[in-house]
Amino acid sequence: MSNQTAKLPPSARLTKWLVCGPPLVFLLLLFVAPSAIMVVASLRFPGEFGGLAPVAAAPGVLQGLTLETYRFFFGDFLYAEIFVKSFLVALAATLICLVMAYPLALLIARSPKKSRDLMILLVILPFASNFLIRVYAWMILLGPQGALSQLVNSALGAFGIGPVHLLFSPFAVLVAMVYVHLPFMVLPLYTNLEKHDPSLLDAAQDLGANRWQRFWHVTFPLSLPGIYAGATLVFIPVLGMFAIPDILGGTGDMLIGNLIKDQFLGTRDWPFGATLSILLTGAVLLCVLVAARLGGAGMRHA
Amino acid sequence: MIPARICPCGPVFIRGLPFALRVCLAIVLSCRAAYAGDVLHLYNWNNYISPETIARFEERCTCRVMQDYYSDNEEMLAKLAAGATGYDIIVPTGNALETLIRQKALRSLDKPALTNLKNINPAYLDTAFDRGNQFSVPFAYTLTLIGYNVEKMRELGLPTDTWAVIFEPEYLAKVKGRVTVLDSQRELMAAALKYLGYSANDTGEAHWKRARDLIIRAKPYWAAFNASSYIKELTVGNIWLVHGYSNDIFQANLDAQQAGRGFNIAASIPKEGAVLSLDSMVLHRSGPRPDLAHRFINFMLDGRNSSELTNLIGSGNPNLDAMRYIKPEIAQNPAVFPDPQHLVRLEMLRDLDRNQRRVLSRMWIEIKLR
Repeated sequence: MSNQTAKLPPSARLTKWLVCGPPLVFLLLLFVAPSAIMVVASLRFPGEFGGLAPVAAAPGVLQGLTLETYRFFFGDFLYAEIFVKSFLVALAATLICLVMAYPLALLIARSPKKSRDLMILLVILPFASNFLIRVYAWMILLGPQGALSQLVNSALGAFGIGPVHLLFSPFAVLVAMVYVHLPFMVLPLYTNLEKHDPSLLDAAQDLGANRWQRFWHVTFPLSLPGIYAGATLVFIPVLGMFAIPDILGGTGDMLIGNLIKDQFLGTRDWPFGATLSILLTGAVLLCVLVAARLGGAGMRHA
Repeated sequence: MIPARICPCGPVFIRGLPFALRVCLAIVLSCRAAYAGDVLHLYNWNNYISPETIARFEERCTCRVMQDYYSDNEEMLAKLAAGATGYDIIVPTGNALETLIRQKALRSLDKPALTNLKNINPAYLDTAFDRGNQFSVPFAYTLTLIGYNVEKMRELGLPTDTWAVIFEPEYLAKVKGRVTVLDSQRELMAAALKYLGYSANDTGEAHWKRARDLIIRAKPYWAAFNASSYIKELTVGNIWLVHGYSNDIFQANLDAQQAGRGFNIAASIPKEGAVLSLDSMVLHRSGPRPDLAHRFINFMLDGRNSSELTNLIGSGNPNLDAMRYIKPEIAQNPAVFPDPQHLVRLEMLRDLDRNQRRVLSRMWIEIKLR
């Protein structure tokens, strides 16, 4: 890499910096700096009234740096349990989004150019209303007097099973997670599928492949980068989401996002909140790395 | 720094407007500037003062009242901790008041300027949070109690005067999935501790563990931990029994009556006791107009002005002079103005220290996960 840079003429090197500079500054300011602040915060003691205890203060006052929040986290299975649970919820939401979004994206990509734009507009349309309002709307849809609840419960009643509550349940949380994040899966998939060369499918057909084989051996492998991009865009926000479990969740729906929010507000334990945030960021980075590796591999394979 | 609400129109917004509109805006803004000397900045709970009261005060002092709002004490403390300034008056609850005093964030009161202070019921003065009321004047209070759908509870034959109905499976079995409790570590633990016969401020770990186990045992019967939408759920009849705040339950009943739901929602103080949250007016150190702030506090201590909030939202009122202006149905409601025998069992929550907060937070996760 460095050899190549050295060989470039000065003007090309300038162009390279001009192109790389803004994103680099963006990353430094909006990712590296906040993360560094969080790392420092996670190593401090909590302040008496919230906030952080001073690093250096008059003797007799709690001060300095400590690893105690990391000891809490790794010394207690409870926190790992929340992490695992949140990862499972995020994974489930991602898979459901994928299964629902793929046929839709394929349909849009194979439609005539004119109706394509309209369909994409319809996919984006929900963003026109506020996220919280859309989540509150699910409270009405899933409420015990809603048509869905009554339908499900009358069907269950026919089999002699007692009524279930759809609202305030893990089910409600998952439904809203999928609903809110579905466009994030449709859009990258569509962008990918739209670029496929239709003559590839014709060639496969000429070679005797049936519909399923054409999909499984041509379309699907080519769409893997879109899948990885969509999965990342869904998985990561779901992992940090706290509003949906707060609003629609029942008595057991606590995810990492809620835990972190609790640390900063209710418990006023900023160091532990910072520790949880850092560990979550680390875990997410790991996921992105895996996705990027897989995506890269998929690209080469194709 | 002046709070953001003063000028809701930022420069970007102004630049985007046509010239004529900009001129109009400039005129409006200059009219506002005429008031610049006489503005009182109030940082208050959402919906916690009657608009009539504000209008009357503005008329009397020929000044403007600018309000910012918060929906819980932590939010208010966090905003102040992040450097918000310029508030003349804040209305914190007891434990947040204690925090603000210990942070030395408050101005002490000029008592001779508060001639109406005599109207306050002495039972609400000289609390553990502010001995001698050096910094704070009681404004209104809320109780954390049991709210219920009167018809449903009567039909099912459930008691409504004890926390047992929230915590005991034998009662809960009849209302499974129709109960919510507050999504608040302190409030829920306080209710459980009270039911077990301890103080709401008990911090003994063994007692906390018993309370935790009680909560975990009752949890499968509850629909949710909820601190906001339970008002609506009570009103429409989805939820029949709640652990909630007196103002909210009052509101739920008003809404249910207005919508002609055909049932009543009532509140009751459990015989084991409950939590009382006393909100007080205090002067923030950063407020530019302590003189106006004192006039406002004295104004709010007047019985008629104080009564308007109670008539609006059903809040408890520590002002003895206000009683004659309060609607009789509220004044006679024992869940708003408790009789002496209930009053002695009410407790105000003290703030926890950082270690206790950590222990409680861990228990809270156990409660949510088990």
